Amino acid sequence: MVRIKSNGCDLFGEVLLLQWLIICVTVSASNMPKSGKIQKHEHEVRDPIHVFIHFDSDERKVIDSRPLQRLRHIHQLALTYLIYPSATHRRFEHSLGVMDLAGKVFDIVVKDQNVSEEVRRFLPEINQENKLMYWRRVLRMAALCHDVGHLPFSHAAEDKLLPEGWNHERLTKVIILSEEMKSIWAAMTPPLRPEDIVKLALGPRKADLNFSRWETILSEIIVGDAFGVDRIDYLLRDSHHAGVSYGKFDHHRLLETLRILPTPATREPALGVEYGGLQSAEALVIARYLIYSQVYFHSVRRICDIHLCDFLAQWLSGSKFSTELESHLSMTDNEVTAALISAAFDASKPGHEAARWIICREHFRVLYERNPTDLAVNSESASAIFDAAVKQFGAESVRADKYTQKGGSHDFPVLQRDGEPVSSLALSETLKAIPIFAIDYVFVKPERRLEAEKWLETNHDAIIKEGRAKEDE
Amino acid sequence: MNRLKQDALLSELADQLNRLGSWCGETHMQKATYFLQGLRKVPLGFDFILYKHGPFSFDLRDELTSMRADGFLELHAQGQYGPSLVPTRRSTELRQDYPKTLKKYEADIEFVCDALGNQNVAELEKLATALYVYFQRESSSQKVRAKILHDLKSHISLSDSLDAVKQVDTLIQRSA
Repeated sequence: MVRIKSNGCDLFGEVLLLQWLIICVTVSASNMPKSGKIQKHEHEVRDPIHVFIHFDSDERKVIDSRPLQRLRHIHQLALTYLIYPSATHRRFEHSLGVMDLAGKVFDIVVKDQNVSEEVRRFLPEINQENKLMYWRRVLRMAALCHDVGHLPFSHAAEDKLLPEGWNHERLTKVIILSEEMKSIWAAMTPPLRPEDIVKLALGPRKADLNFSRWETILSEIIVGDAFGVDRIDYLLRDSHHAGVSYGKFDHHRLLETLRILPTPATREPALGVEYGGLQSAEALVIARYLIYSQVYFHSVRRICDIHLCDFLAQWLSGSKFSTELESHLSMTDNEVTAALISAAFDASKPGHEAARWIICREHFRVLYERNPTDLAVNSESASAIFDAAVKQFGAESVRADKYTQKGGSHDFPVLQRDGEPVSSLALSETLKAIPIFAIDYVFVKPERRLEAEKWLETNHDAIIKEGRAKEDE
Repeated sequence: MNRLKQDALLSELADQLNRLGSWCGETHMQKATYFLQGLRKVPLGFDFILYKHGPFSFDLRDELTSMRADGFLELHAQGQYGPSLVPTRRSTELRQDYPKTLKKYEADIEFVCDALGNQNVAELEKLATALYVYFQRESSSQKVRAKILHDLKSHISLSDSLDAVKQVDTLIQRSA
């Protein structure tokens, strides 16, 4: 062996070390797959809202399953792309986003320094590391799967197009409890109980199961009225894709300040915010109000949903979607869109007229819209005008749409600087002042619009006054 | 029962609770409506499940929001526990459209307001949950029901649970 001297250093030892390292790497490489690639257990995808979304190999099996992959073909905002052309994003990426946010919120609210002793007494699960790991996984999977039961074009008219007693939440439950998914849950580390995933994905209102206090809090993280990550993701994502600013708010700040706090009146724990996050919470509520009025309940979007329902009622066998699992998984927006386009240009096909209204933009136009002046006279003014318009122009020429915001007042605990929780409504004038979103539309066929407008101008006052319902006992 | 009739009864309930000096926040309305529907059998048609602070109806929560949207109820600021629900002038007009309905259920509303009007949220949680347990286990003894209540709501002590069960039994007897 030649000894090399350089700058007074003995390089012999370094060469030996280098040789040893080469041997180690070679031996190690021989244990790797023949391709030479290191096997990844952590994966990531790019996302326009959350930049990167991470998941592990177990979670990837769920993402790769048929029910999740089907969501690549269900538009998040149904036919909203007819008004906002770039709103063509799908439920798939929303589901990934909800999973990502759910994990982030979980990590923040169970972090040692963020949990008070009082909350620990109410929720002993927070003190058990192995339970936390299990529930973190359940929460992420519930968030990922919360939308798998959606029908084509998401919410459009599911109450009319499913058999009695069915809704997309019940389909979600069936899918999570299916044999295909059960085998994936069982193979995870740790194995997950499918019933736990159902609970968190659907929440107390829809799951029809008893919830522990801990499960209630976790389901709130996904579907909660105040800070549910489902809503946080769809507000951000929908505004991004629609190209509007209405749904945006400082969600980073909000997430960082979320806490599990005692409710002031009963001390029962609920999801709330630290004082510093109150303005972000206000911004979330304002964002929701604005995007509802500007995007989700845009009159053209609503009438297109109604026409889609008109079409589907004629196109579907028995006027209903099947609730059989295989049929559900096979039915996406693609099948419906192909049928819609075909029917629009072929008068012999079922649903031809309704398909034309959508595809050829011959949709009904707004004849009447809810307004404060009429509401002061008759709180059901739109119904009165709809009934009168049907008598005047026939049911085939008139459609109505009604929706009022769901959920309660924006009441959640806020942790003050002195460590005491207070109702958000005691601190925020903004939260009290945000209007409740409500719409009431009456639509009329475009070819009868002028005639209908003249008729309404003449008869408006009488209809509103006489139409006041008084079915007293 | 149609929606406006339902709203007229809920407005009357809120009005009487307010007049009795009740806080009349959303939780008060939830629990009072639970008693009105469950104990007094007023057919309001809301589905209740055991949730935060005892029996809770998501449908009723949505309806109270809808009543605010229609201008029948308003939120009025109160102290640190959140606002009260206060009926408006428009709700008075609404109630004038339903005199027979209000007359029919007048005694029921009075009974519930008399029983719950001066209770705070924590008390209402105990009583409403005790009534919920009664409907689940009507034939069980007071001690058994108190144990069930305590198991459902561990922050309510066993002795407080027993007190609540006894109070509810008295209300049931009075109501019969």
